[in-house]
This record gives sequence, structure tokens and C-alpha cells, in this order.
Amino acid sequence: MRQRGAFVATIAIAGAIVAGACGEVKQATSPPPATSGGGTTATTPAAPTDATFTYESLNTIVTSFDPATAYSNEVIALNNIYEQLTRYDSTTKTVKPLLATRWTPSADGKTWTFTLRPGATFHTGKPVDAASVKASLERTIKLGGGAAYEWGAVDTIDTPDPATVVFHLKYPAPLDLISSSAYAAYIYDTTAAGAGDLAKWFETAKDAGSGPYTVASWSKGQENELRLEAYPAYWGGWDGAHYKHVLFKYVQQPTTREQLLESGEATFADRLSPELFTQAKSSATLQSSERSSFQNLIAFLNTASGPLKDPNIRRAVALAIDYPGIIAALKGSAVPASGFIPDGLLGYADGLAYTQDVAQAKSLVAASAQKNITLTMTHANGDADQDLVSTIMKSDLAQIGITLNVKPLEWQTQWDQAKSTNPKKRQDIFVMYWYPDYADPFSWFTNLFHSASPPYFNMSYLNDKAVDTTIDALQSQTATDKAAAETSYAGLQKTLLDAAVAIPLYVQTYQRAFAKTVSGYVDNPAYSNVVFIHELTPTG
Amino acid sequence: MTVWRAFKRDRLALLGAIIVAIVVVVAILAPWLAPAPDDATIAVHPVDGLLAPGSGHWFGTDQVGRDILTRVLFGARTSLRIAIEVLVIAALVGMPLGILAGYAGGIVGDVIMRITDVFLAFPALLLSLALAAVLTPSVSNAAIAISVTWWPWYTRLIRAQAATVAASGYVTAARALGVSHVRILIRHVVPNAAAPVIVQASLDFGGVILTAAALSYLGLGAQDPTPEWGLMVNQGQTLFQTHWWVVTFPGLAILVTALGFNLIGDGLRTIIDPRQVLHDRGS
Repeated sequence: MRQRGAFVATIAIAGAIVAGACGEVKQATSPPPATSGGGTTATTPAAPTDATFTYESLNTIVTSFDPATAYSNEVIALNNIYEQLTRYDSTTKTVKPLLATRWTPSADGKTWTFTLRPGATFHTGKPVDAASVKASLERTIKLGGGAAYEWGAVDTIDTPDPATVVFHLKYPAPLDLISSSAYAAYIYDTTAAGAGDLAKWFETAKDAGSGPYTVASWSKGQENELRLEAYPAYWGGWDGAHYKHVLFKYVQQPTTREQLLESGEATFADRLSPELFTQAKSSATLQSSERSSFQNLIAFLNTASGPLKDPNIRRAVALAIDYPGIIAALKGSAVPASGFIPDGLLGYADGLAYTQDVAQAKSLVAASAQKNITLTMTHANGDADQDLVSTIMKSDLAQIGITLNVKPLEWQTQWDQAKSTNPKKRQDIFVMYWYPDYADPFSWFTNLFHSASPPYFNMSYLNDKAVDTTIDALQSQTATDKAAAETSYAGLQKTLLDAAVAIPLYVQTYQRAFAKTVSGYVDNPAYSNVVFIHELTPTG
Repeated sequence: MTVWRAFKRDRLALLGAIIVAIVVVVAILAPWLAPAPDDATIAVHPVDGLLAPGSGHWFGTDQVGRDILTRVLFGARTSLRIAIEVLVIAALVGMPLGILAGYAGGIVGDVIMRITDVFLAFPALLLSLALAAVLTPSVSNAAIAISVTWWPWYTRLIRAQAATVAASGYVTAARALGVSHVRILIRHVVPNAAAPVIVQASLDFGGVILTAAALSYLGLGAQDPTPEWGLMVNQGQTLFQTHWWVVTFPGLAILVTALGFNLIGDGLRTIIDPRQVLHDRGS
């Protein structure tokens, strides 16, 4: 799985470009928070008053507590501790209010005015006002880590009054959507550390958010890793039944996760194996949720060196794969991909899937000057789904006379090898998941297919000026002319697929299992694996 | 002939011999016995994934639709290959060093035995794991990693035997008669040391198979699509509650094979080296 590390802002800033008139005005005035967690807050008489929500995670929870730079699995906790100005609702496909109650872009799309929610306070006791919004976002942008690249369009931030924040942009950008990002869009109290170093203060497991929960304890490397407690002064209130305590538990074994759920020792599992998920669905004490996600598995083909530098060999690889077989083997935890953009996001189009054609693949290999082709493929160690895909691909490529050597590696090793300055040390095929930082397809293209030297996430090592130019115009087009953006995304995907730069293997289906005592859960794939716990109701 | 008669009287040893004979026959005849030999190499049939045991697939299929019976049968080849490789390497390295240490004695013997002690100081599985993790995971590298932890036992075993023979009267007499060291070693020391080595090797077969399965289970041994029982258990571990057959049949194969070799080893030890049995029972 993609692990998010410190991000080089320049990669995406390079993708953000120029002008045009703003075509769409988005405005929201309704006060309630986004209902991505379901929004069902009905009180039941049997509800416990001191319930604990125990979240079982496949991965360790916290790599960083700094809301400016955090770019990994801690997002599942931070989205319950911190809040953004807005939140994206994947069900209605709209941006909803959070710390901002309304927002208005100017006619040219280069000035965005946000009105803040009254009564919100940070866990430090300080009110959430325009100055704190400006200070936190300016710090995030200045540090330039994690997903800070999203704010590349921002020129200056004004605070005409404590309840109003005005963003002046260098070029039009969908700032309401960017403000809803799961990463680097948190509003926090930059004065929390006093005269001390705020980054160091955060790393002692402290928080300065405005969300419903605050950090109670952190035990690095332990199974019971992170505990949160309710923030009593949360603006959303605690009337009715709510989970007051939260435990994030690191449980790697799927069977153990399922057993803890069954026994009532855990409330929610982010992922089980498809077979255990089927078992959980029929359990008397568990319920389940299945939803196609914005997360897809992509095989990046090395266009710069090795046997796959030849586009015909790349096409042969793409044509050799048994895509329906992969979907069948994953037993309901994946759906076919059509292009690189998952269904539900701008730019998704039908008819962009590869179809297996072994005869054509064989003829492409036979026509090539290369003989006895051997390819090396790296993927994440310990990911059972990727193990299955590797087994199937190895068999499929053997059919066309290509030997595939599969190397499951720890993420950092896999990534470092791919970024090696010596092209001979790089892999031929790099497999990883990708999902967006906010509900928009831009991150797939600016990160994965825009030229980058040295490579960062561009694991196909593509260096195509025409592709770069198209990508550079996307963000602006999205803000000003969605139809044009749709056309650009469709054309771009076709170009990339025709050249077999990378192969979208499937889109993951999020399969969640959780206790029957939880009411109101709705998966929001724009916030990968996040449960908005305050919006849930414990019922038993 | 006496050995064989004694062996036949030991029913457990006989059972072990029968099991081992079956495993060996299965390993040799796997391509003819297996219903879908291609499933042991590169073939997959994802749409037939996780079919329950039935007339089409007696042991069911795995996640990518491969016939588990086929892979269990071919797995016997992999396990026997690793065991033979390890024991041959261990004997080839351990025996000469042990003979040299026992026969020569003195500083040479001390140096060899201290090096041996260094290797023996590490828990065997831990050292194998560490080595296998450094090497590229494969059947051959798993065999090498296990061999590194296995040879010192043979050195220690042979050294004691060789030292005893070297100090015996007939060897002293042979020396006095001017017989060369090489001839003494070949004619007297090696034959006397062979019995305990055979017993130890037969006992170790099961242990090596278990260790190899453990390495593969941990992802450090055989790699897919190689049919290896430990790897098959690893691949099916999350399926145990829902699709029991994926884990159970390779698991049983490990159990039965290791049991067979242990029974035969125990039987041989009783017959060939009764002193050790008495010692074991008395301890």
C-alpha cells in the first residue's frame, strides 16, 4: 500500500496552472456537519453513556502527530481530532460545511471567502477564528510536507474580521474541495506550544485540534496504540448517545481482527480478508459495509529502461493479464478498473479497461527483437491481495514467454529501490495502491504521470512533455470548466493506456465489519479508512 | 539381516518406514499421480478458486484455483529435496571436521570445536531465519541457511566417536605397524562413525522438513508457485476458519512426513545404537 511520506511540493505545484473564469459558484449555508459518518444521531434508551469505540487497524496508527505534515495512517485518528474548513460527502458528491459554514468564490475563481462557524474552540481553549485559520494554513504551506502541495494556488490569506477568511489565489482552483482534504487541511492552534517549538510539542503526542476527540495516551509500537477521549466543549455537542472513548488498536492478523470483533473486544475493523468478511456478514453480533472506493491498484511499467522500454512489450504485458480472473480471485473485495480514475470522481469514464488477448500479446512478443524476457516486479510485502495478483500475473506472463520474478518488499525498500539513481537497480514493474488526498483525480496524474526528476511517485519514469502540458492545465480547468476537465482526463487516460505506461488492475472495494451495536456508519471513501466516530451512536 | 529383523519387530519403526516409503514414492511419481500437474508449476484458474473437496478436486482448490492434491503431492519433492540437500551438506562439512578434530586432537581439535561451539550457541531456527532473511528467498537458499545451523551437530557427534576410535588399542597397534593416517581414517574411524551419523541423519530428516516448512511459512523459503507445504499453510492461514482444506492438507502432509521420519529414526537408533537409548531413558 502506498505509504505517504514527506512530499515534495514542487511536483504538484508544477501541475497547477493558470487562469480562466470561474464557471461555478458553490455555496452552502446549512449549519450541520457533513454526514459522511451517516449522521444518524437518534438517541436510544439502551445506549451506554460511556461507550468505547475500538478501531482495529491493519497498520500501525501514528507516524506523526503534526497536522501540517502527517501523511500516513494517522489520518484515521487525526480526522477525529482535527477539523478542516469543509468536508466532502461521497454519497451526495458535495462539499459540506465543517469549521466554515459558507464559502463563496469570486467570479474569476481567484478569491474565496469563507465564513467560520461561531462557537468552535480548540482543545487548548482558544476560539477557532480567522487568525488561527490563517496561521495554521500558512504554517502548513510553509513547512511544505505531506500534502501541502494542495495549497499551491494560494497567494495570500486575509482576515478582514474574526469570522471571515479570504484566500487570494494565483490561479483558479477548487478551494472548497481542497479545504476538505483528508491531509494538510487541518485547522489547529499554532500557539499551543507557547514559546516552544510547535513541531516538537506535537511529537510528544499532544494535539491542538478542534475536533470531537483529544489525545489521551499514545503507546508507540504497542497493540493498544492510541487512546482518545471526548473533548467536552466540542461545538457539535455531546447530547444523546456518543462514543466518549476511542481506542486505535494495531492488529495485523485478519483472523485475530475477526475474532476480536466476534468477541466484542473490538468495534470496527478496517479490513478483513474477503473470506473472513463473508463470515462476518453472517455473524449474529456483527454488521458490515461494502463500498467501492477511490483506491485502485496500479502496476507501473518502467518506460525508461529494461525490456519494458519497448512499448510493444508493455502492451503485451497489459494484454496478457487475466483481469476478470483477478477480480474473481479477490472474491468481492475488488471491482474492475476502467482507466486510472475510480468511479465517483470527476473524469471517470467507461470503456477504458484492458481486455486479455493472449494471442495478440504473444505476437507482440514474437515480433520483438528481445528474447527470453525476464521482468522483476516489486509489491508490498504482507499484502495478501497483492500476493494473489502476483501469482496470477506470473502465470499470465509465462503464457506469453515472459518470466516474472516477484519481489515482495517492505514499502520503504520498494520505494527506495524504485527511486534509485542507478536505473539498473530499479524494477520493471512497480505495484502500489493510490487514492486521492481530496476527492479529485488530479493527484493520480500530477504525482504518477507528470515527469519528475528525480522520480518520486512517478514509478513509470514517464517523461512526456505533451502529457505534462495536459496535466498542468487540469487543476485550473476543474475550477473553471468541468466539462473541459472531463475531456482532458479522458484523453489523458487514453494516451497513457495506449502507450501502456501503467496498468490499472482493479478498484478496491472497502469491506468493513463492525459491531451490531454501532448505528449510523456510512463509509466515506474520500477519507480512506476514516471513521467519523462522533457521528456514530452506540446502541447497546 | 539382523538389523532388518530387529527393525521388523519394532512396529512403530515399521510404520515410520512405510510412511517414508510412501512419501518417497509420491515424490518420485508425483507427475503421474497428480491430477493436474500444471498446477504445481505455473498454471492458475482464478474462477475455480476455493472449491471445496469433492470429486473434481479431492483436496479442494486454493485461492487461485490450483488443485491442492496436486500441490501436496509435488510438495513431497520439495521437502525431500531440501532435507537431502541439508543433510548432505551438513554431513559433508560436519563429518570431515569432526573426524579431524577427534583424530588429530590438540590445538587443531580445540580450534574446530570452539568454532563449532560458536555456531551451536545460536538457536538453530533463529540463525536459519537470519540467514534466510539476508539471502534471496528460495528453496536452495533455505537449504543453505538450514545447513549452516545443522553441520555443527555432526561435527560434535563425529568428534566424540573419532576420538574414541583414535584412542583404541587396535588403532594404536595399526599406527605401531606403520599404517598411514589416511588408511586408519578410511578403514577404522569412518566406518565406526557411520552408524551414529545414519541414526542422526534419519532423526534429522523430520527436523529439517519442519524447519524448511517454518522458513517457507515465514516467507523466507520457497516462493510461489513452488509447491511447498509450509508456504501453502502460509497462503491459507487466513482461510482456516472459512476454507479449512487450504491449510489442513499441507499441514497434515508436514505432520505425517515428520512423524514417519522420526519413527524410523527412533527405530534405527534403538537397533544400531542401543547405548544412546539407554542413556536417554536413564537421563
